[in-house]
Amino acid sequence: MTLALREAVVRRGGFRLAADFEIASEGVTVVFGPSGSGKSTVLSAIAGLNRLERGSVTFNGRVLEDTLRKTRVPTHDRGIGLVFQDARLFPHLTVRGNLAYAEARRPAARNAPITAGIARRLEFEALLDRPVRNLSGGEKGRVALARAIVSAPELLLLDEPFAALDGKRRRDYIVLLRDLSHEHGVPMVVVTHQIDDAAELAAQVISLQGGRVIAHGSAAGVMARPDFLALLDRRDVGVRLPASVLAGRNAEGVWVRADSVLLASEEPRGISARHVWRGRVMSIVREAETDVLVSIATDAGYILSRITPEALADLRLKEGATAWAVVKAHSL
Amino acid sequence: MVRAMLTAAELQILSTSLGVAGRAVLFSLPVAIAFAWALSRRNFPGKSVLDTIAHLPLVLPPVLVGYMLLLGLGAQSPLGAWLKSSFGVQLVFTAEGASIATAVMAFPLMVRAIRLSFEATDSGIFEAASVLRAGPWDRFWSMTLPLAWPGVLAGAVTAFAAGLGEFGAVITFASNVEGETQTLPLAINAALNSPGRDDQAFRLALISLVAAISGLVLAEMLQRWARRRVDA
Repeated sequence: MTLALREAVVRRGGFRLAADFEIASEGVTVVFGPSGSGKSTVLSAIAGLNRLERGSVTFNGRVLEDTLRKTRVPTHDRGIGLVFQDARLFPHLTVRGNLAYAEARRPAARNAPITAGIARRLEFEALLDRPVRNLSGGEKGRVALARAIVSAPELLLLDEPFAALDGKRRRDYIVLLRDLSHEHGVPMVVVTHQIDDAAELAAQVISLQGGRVIAHGSAAGVMARPDFLALLDRRDVGVRLPASVLAGRNAEGVWVRADSVLLASEEPRGISARHVWRGRVMSIVREAETDVLVSIATDAGYILSRITPEALADLRLKEGATAWAVVKAHSL
Repeated sequence: MVRAMLTAAELQILSTSLGVAGRAVLFSLPVAIAFAWALSRRNFPGKSVLDTIAHLPLVLPPVLVGYMLLLGLGAQSPLGAWLKSSFGVQLVFTAEGASIATAVMAFPLMVRAIRLSFEATDSGIFEAASVLRAGPWDRFWSMTLPLAWPGVLAGAVTAFAAGLGEFGAVITFASNVEGETQTLPLAINAALNSPGRDDQAFRLALISLVAAISGLVLAEMLQRWARRRVDA
């Protein structure tokens, strides 16, 4: 069960994407990178909306496109679903009509939820008989997701599915995607440029920069690479911890920003922070005039903390010393 | 009411006109949709040739179109002779012939309106359909046509209204046969050309005007109604 792009080159307008990767097609894979790095183009190439200039696409052993062998399976025969960022509901149909469109075209052999079931699950039952032009942005997004699920794809691609959502709705949506992927056994490839979304969703990560795949593999592996951290905003630099360190969190992992980690040279007592990890200082790197990045190896994994040079002097921290990393639950 | 206002002859002329224009639209609509669809696609070899053919009736003198039809489909032409011997179909001097001449003249109007609405449809919608397993034909019937519906309707009604007024091509190809090919403009022409029938010509002109305006108003109304249905 794999998805592979081999020596693939795709051109879209003036943009050129070069991709070569193979990932296990199960669970959720996140395509991560800054805007303009080619994330959506990766999805287009997999779905067959963009022709390859060179290379091949293979999914679960089936060659979908290969420029050398001159084979190309058209989009509608790939069995790969795509939820567009702008929903793209069919304007001449009702919500129910949009779902029925997908249902009517799925192969009889593929099991998938019925319209009423998925509408209840995604909480838009009351909207079923509305024309789609009357829906809000968030509602359109949910209907587009439901439509894709109803079509029972073998692989589901999602382009920035959280763009219209914020806060709690965003988190709920992440949980929902993971659950749907499990319930229906649909592997997903999700494009996002938000580091928290990536950490929470991804079992695997493909990272992109300037039209090139720079790393691919397990989320834990890719997200710890220096070339991955280099993609991030300074304020987003941090580490991915497995979700198991947080009891009761339905996620793959969690992103802990260096800015939200306090350091203590003695075991802290009587504080409100929920997460305190003991560890050993592994490295101290002066980042800029005003910042020092301290890396600590704890039982939960490596943790990064950004502190001031003055704080470092006060704590008298040295490489090899014992230190405590303190994280507020709210910042996770 | 119409019966009270019009004479039997005028009714006959009006019904010939409506019949000819109606059939003209029916004949040319499927072909116009096919042309419009092809022309709304990205470039392909022969596109400009197709474009020229579609617009030719707009720039040729109608008489010339009628003459070309006569050459191509008249009784003396191989195609015309074959139609007559195989199907017993005669186009010259018949309402069918008048319809074909009208259809050819109205064709560019239709192609234009339909093509514009094909081009106005967001191509993202077709991508969304194709990731739900809809192939090209499926997309054409389920997306392209329904979404372009207002344009198709407008094209058909405009062509119908214009068809009511077609003169040169009809008289050249199908001739002026009362009760068969004598449409409103042909009847007006006949009336103007015979002494003492000016009143008749004037009444027919009024009927023409009312019919044309009704057609345009209807086109506008239908288009608004259809657009409300498909606009997101």
